[in-house]
Amino acid sequence: MWRVIDYQEHSAFMNMAIDEAVSNHVRIGADPTIRFYGWKPSAVSIGYFQSLDDEVDLAACAENGIDIVRRRTGGGAVFHEHEITYSVIAPEKMFSKDIIESYRQICGWIIDSLSIVGIEAEFKPINDIVVGGKKISGNAQTRRQGVLLQHGTILYQVDVEKMFSLLKVPNEKIRDKMIETVKERVTSVRKQKNVSRDDLYHALLEGFTRGKEYRLGELSSREIGEASALVESRYLSREWNFWR
Amino acid sequence: MFMKYREKVGKLVAVDVECTGGKISSIRITGDFFLHPEEKIIQIEKSILGSDMDISENDLEKIISSELRSALLVGATSADLARIIRRALECGE
Repeated sequence: MWRVIDYQEHSAFMNMAIDEAVSNHVRIGADPTIRFYGWKPSAVSIGYFQSLDDEVDLAACAENGIDIVRRRTGGGAVFHEHEITYSVIAPEKMFSKDIIESYRQICGWIIDSLSIVGIEAEFKPINDIVVGGKKISGNAQTRRQGVLLQHGTILYQVDVEKMFSLLKVPNEKIRDKMIETVKERVTSVRKQKNVSRDDLYHALLEGFTRGKEYRLGELSSREIGEASALVESRYLSREWNFWR
Repeated sequence: MFMKYREKVGKLVAVDVECTGGKISSIRITGDFFLHPEEKIIQIEKSILGSDMDISENDLEKIISSELRSALLVGATSADLARIIRRALECGE
């Protein structure tokens, strides 16, 4: 039976640590878990293979009180502010062995959720969901020791200028052009429909649980304890965040 | 001699490479691609270390393909990695 954990806000470090701690518990037999969360303070997460120095303006993040964390998943840098994030953590065997197909499966739950609030979206391989060709959700997956972790964001509102003030661009001369290009390629729930963040969240709860046997649950005290330890040992560490 | 080259294929791949005495003495492959299992990136980099700096794109692809027999690269191909590494090496020539 799925365990669904209600929306919570944590630091970037704790969010990533919870995903890892829950993955460890699922590996030894805990229920597959869906969790929804936000980032407090706002944060930039970078993909497992990205160079922190190349991608993120560290000084700008520090000035604006923005946390920075490396994810266990690949993919690109994400600015987490006006969005709802989810994680699906389950035995790998519950999903297609084919990576793209498994993205399609889980992204299908997001597409169902968006449909509930009147937004018709579609899956765009490898890992995006788009509305009218514009990205509204980005997703990333890892599979370790038989456990699949997929997390992703559903963009409620987007502040492209702020995002670009925190990320580095390969060539400063084209920063404005890049901002315009991203504005053309990215949308948000608010741009598509006049729905509240609460309405979106309830749609996500419904879309993610539709047709599933589930219970509303909480993180166990062991999971919280292990996540807190991982914050210190990994996600706050320079060794992890500056790995590349 | 330190060299760098980045290219967007399906995903972005960037290569930083350093050569000493005509050999590749350090290499780092970064980007927003996916690789399962993720730790394989270390093996790929190690397998290229020590190669001649004029190693062909073809030989690089053979090395990478061999490593990828037990891994899955998503958003780029072994041919993409080989080409981008080769281009990075050429940035210093």
